[in-house]
Amino acid sequence: MQLPDAQVAVLKAADGGENRPITDIAEEADLKPETATQAAFALEEEDLLTISEQTTELIGLTDEGESYVKGQLPEIRLYRAALSAGADAEPVSMGEVLGQADLGGSAVDIALANFARKGYGELDSGQLSAADVNPDADPEQQALAVLAEQGEDATRESVSGEIDDETLDRLTDRGLVSVTESTERLVKLTDDGITALMEGVEAAETVDKLTPELLTSGDWEDVEFTSYNVEADAPELQAGRKHPLRQMADRVKDVLIGMGFEEMQGPTVDADFWINDCLFMPQDHPARTHWDRFALESPEKIDEIPADLVDRVRTAHLEGVGEDSEGYHSPWDEDFARQLALRGHTTSLTARHLSGEALGDLEPPQRFFSVEKAYRNDTLDATHLLEFFQIEGWVMAENLSVRDLFGTFTEFYEQFGITDIQFKPHYNPYTEPSFELFGRHPETGELIEIGNSGIFRPEMLEPLGVDCDVMAWGLALERLMMLATGAEDIRDVHGTLVDLEYLRTEEVLY
Amino acid sequence: MPVVDVDPDELRTLVDTNKDDDELREDLFALGLEFEGWTEDDEFQLEFAPDRLDRLSVEGIARSLRYQYGTDRGLAIPDTNSAEWTINVEETPPERPYVTGAIVRGLDLSEDALDSLIQLQEKLHATMGRQRAKGAIGVHDLTMLKGAPAKDGAQKSITYTSMDPDDERFVPLESNDEMSPREVTESHHMGSVYAELVDGMDRYPAIYDDIGLFSFPPIINGKRTEVTENSRDLFIEMTGTDQWTLDRMCAIVCYSLAARGGQVERVNVEYAADAPGELAGETLDRPDFAVKTKTITHDRIETILGISLSDAEAIDCIERSGLSTQDEETTAGEVYEVEVPPYRVDVLHPIDIIDDIGRAYGFNELEPRYPDVSTVGGRHDRSRLEDAARDTLVGLGFEDLLNFYMTNEAENFERMNVAPDDEVVGGGDPVTILEAYSEEYTILRTWGLPSLMQVLENNTHRQYPQQLAEIGLAAVVDENENTNVAEHRTIAAAIAEPEASYEEARARLQILARSFEKDLETPPTEHPSFISGRAAEVVLDGKSVGVIGELHPSVLVEHDLEVPVSAFELRLDGLQ
Repeated sequence: MQLPDAQVAVLKAADGGENRPITDIAEEADLKPETATQAAFALEEEDLLTISEQTTELIGLTDEGESYVKGQLPEIRLYRAALSAGADAEPVSMGEVLGQADLGGSAVDIALANFARKGYGELDSGQLSAADVNPDADPEQQALAVLAEQGEDATRESVSGEIDDETLDRLTDRGLVSVTESTERLVKLTDDGITALMEGVEAAETVDKLTPELLTSGDWEDVEFTSYNVEADAPELQAGRKHPLRQMADRVKDVLIGMGFEEMQGPTVDADFWINDCLFMPQDHPARTHWDRFALESPEKIDEIPADLVDRVRTAHLEGVGEDSEGYHSPWDEDFARQLALRGHTTSLTARHLSGEALGDLEPPQRFFSVEKAYRNDTLDATHLLEFFQIEGWVMAENLSVRDLFGTFTEFYEQFGITDIQFKPHYNPYTEPSFELFGRHPETGELIEIGNSGIFRPEMLEPLGVDCDVMAWGLALERLMMLATGAEDIRDVHGTLVDLEYLRTEEVLY
Repeated sequence: MPVVDVDPDELRTLVDTNKDDDELREDLFALGLEFEGWTEDDEFQLEFAPDRLDRLSVEGIARSLRYQYGTDRGLAIPDTNSAEWTINVEETPPERPYVTGAIVRGLDLSEDALDSLIQLQEKLHATMGRQRAKGAIGVHDLTMLKGAPAKDGAQKSITYTSMDPDDERFVPLESNDEMSPREVTESHHMGSVYAELVDGMDRYPAIYDDIGLFSFPPIINGKRTEVTENSRDLFIEMTGTDQWTLDRMCAIVCYSLAARGGQVERVNVEYAADAPGELAGETLDRPDFAVKTKTITHDRIETILGISLSDAEAIDCIERSGLSTQDEETTAGEVYEVEVPPYRVDVLHPIDIIDDIGRAYGFNELEPRYPDVSTVGGRHDRSRLEDAARDTLVGLGFEDLLNFYMTNEAENFERMNVAPDDEVVGGGDPVTILEAYSEEYTILRTWGLPSLMQVLENNTHRQYPQQLAEIGLAAVVDENENTNVAEHRTIAAAIAEPEASYEEARARLQILARSFEKDLETPPTEHPSFISGRAAEVVLDGKSVGVIGELHPSVLVEHDLEVPVSAFELRLDGLQ
């Protein structure tokens, strides 16, 4: 029979009559204990030997117990001091005796408690009297000496003749002795193992590592490879990963590109003209004067906005477009429109594209999207950050209907497992009809707002020079992520407070 | 978004329906009114978008439901009695030149009705009234007003004018003491809230009757004319900066009171010849219940909704929206002339009528369909470049980060040893935020490395090595740009571990450069964030695009780091 080196050595060292500890076998076979153990398990698989476990109780002295081996137990020191003070004749003051015995702190309590327990004497009103006993015969003191002598080899068995269990328990309770269990594996040859040995086993050449030399020399054909513990955990590695929110953004982009949408780009810092005025947002709209907008202190204004477009936008705000249109009953100021801000929504990109400012005039049909950041000076909570990713999408075509809008969203959200979308009629200054989109959370079943949408108003499109229909929608990427992954708090995801542990362990999205 | 509290029982009474709470909530949702929860008094809290301001009261919501159910059809205008009272307008503050008004008589104001009126007033202030700046409402007990005829044989009158902030005295609401208008703005608990609206005015807005001052718009009314549950006849006045807005707000209030059984009586508004504003010399007959018309084609209704409708269905939807119409055939096809009632402030364009028709029809009845429009999708070049760079960094073992664009000067400059006027990567005139709400976010970052240092600082308890990278926005003020801001995407990468060194960073930068077929050179440079002699410019194809080096110990200690950090930062477009 051919076996790997280690197994041959273990087999030879094992005995057919007696269980032998694996550590002994390893020593005899000159193997590392773990190598011998591995080999023994492999041999057990082959029914060549059996492995059993034996538990022994190791008895050891604690640091305190160790200190009493030489220094003697506090109660004995107390007794001896009492004797030399003459307490066997008549009671003496306890303070005096304690001083002589050199006892202090917690040792005093220990000494007094055991002094009385063991009948070394009595304590009455601070007066100590000593009985007539032999401290040298103290079983606890003797037990300590035995344990000190046996050292690390002491087990319950090895001391059983010299220390009774009661004393051992007492010492354990006093914290002078520790008892620990140790399990040892024992091996014994089976009949098959004995037969195999008798028929003869020889070592096959085994190697730990497959080396370039083995491969090039062709020696790999004659070797056996040692087995690894393939179930064990390996040391931790740090790998690079895309940020979870970025993974979500990629997923959204994939879906939109699959639906025929082309990506938009544009400035983050932009004039209010592109952010709001082109969207037919009245200049006295609360969202434009409200504190939730990030206006800039420096620089303050954009240099150029197309003059003819400014005129058309102003007219739309003041008078509307077409015959039956009236505009807003509020003033419009070009200077206000030139002010710079961090965009509050990425619809500013849509305005730049529809006007032809971004890519020149666009002919229908078109689909565009962006997944970029928008900025709102909102109250921070579990679902609102100052900076968030907005998914923006729009479709330009002749004669688009509300049903086309619904169909596009149904398709989009289905890609993320969100079905049963409800459309709540809504109001936006720049769309009509407008809808808030609600979907059911796949886990909680709760109805949650998942987007805002509509068909752009003529007062927005006409000044931009668009003479067909455009439908659009927007939603926060973080909200979609919460729905798709069940995340509950986005504050720890985005920004410098991120926990690396989260980035390293969060489930990947696909 | 406005939230209105509505007692469901009162709503049922006004609508005349037996529907239970759930059914009501469902019907309200279809109208765009979302149930937010219950008030302490078991009322619905309904939230809705700020377009249908005629629904800011239980009466308005009831009216919408009655139309939706078909209980009422078509446009309705309350009867009005002819005017007995006039509002004279003279010497008003030029900042607040306009006024409107109406009288409503014969009311039997229950506690609920009075609460509803107060709520409507507050909500109109918050929305159309732009926190009273554009329009402020005052409601008074008519019986407490004494109006001498303005001219012989003429009507009773009150006067909207101006007053000296210190010379006049009156007892305001919720007070027992006479105060001057200035004292009201300074110390009255309600008056001080809106004080800034009259800030800077030489003379304050004032309304007098024959007895004296009774209203100090837009701040507070006088106590004398306070409305109670016993008030039967009300005088409503509204002042502000836009006549159209005031007249619409007034129409909404009059409709609401008419629904409570009130009889509306007209009021004349006479602008003096020298009154400020655009209406000098004119006399207005108010409230303005003028009906406007919008023309829509049947074809446009069908294309927007994406369905075929019969004439009768279209007209039914129009009438159940509280509008009236006659259809006629023109050369443009079937056309509807739609009459719109005066409380509808949201109808700016015929498209708004089509939205009404869709709501009446039920948008959720419409079957979704994927549009038959063919386009080709794709990524933008810049974002593909960014993605390729990010993939390369991740492949090199960097943890991809996503930090904020906004930061503050301390993080961006001081803690990195950099000053804004240093001519190094990270230096530059930062874009600053006006009246920053938080000290944490006062500027846009000029570079990315400070954000990485913050992440390292916040993760010293986590296992090392820590390799972090981010591709994100950075910006500086730049007069050559149209927006005066130059924004760019920056690549920042840092390695923090006991063995981190310049070489470790450069090894990774080399791979990044090679992946994009860029020739990398790193001539020595000095940068205050890095150790002298261990910093270099990043030069790609002969162009300086960034910096690489070992972070200076003072920067590490500032960020509480106990391991060395090597890092590089370069412009994304350097890889293009």
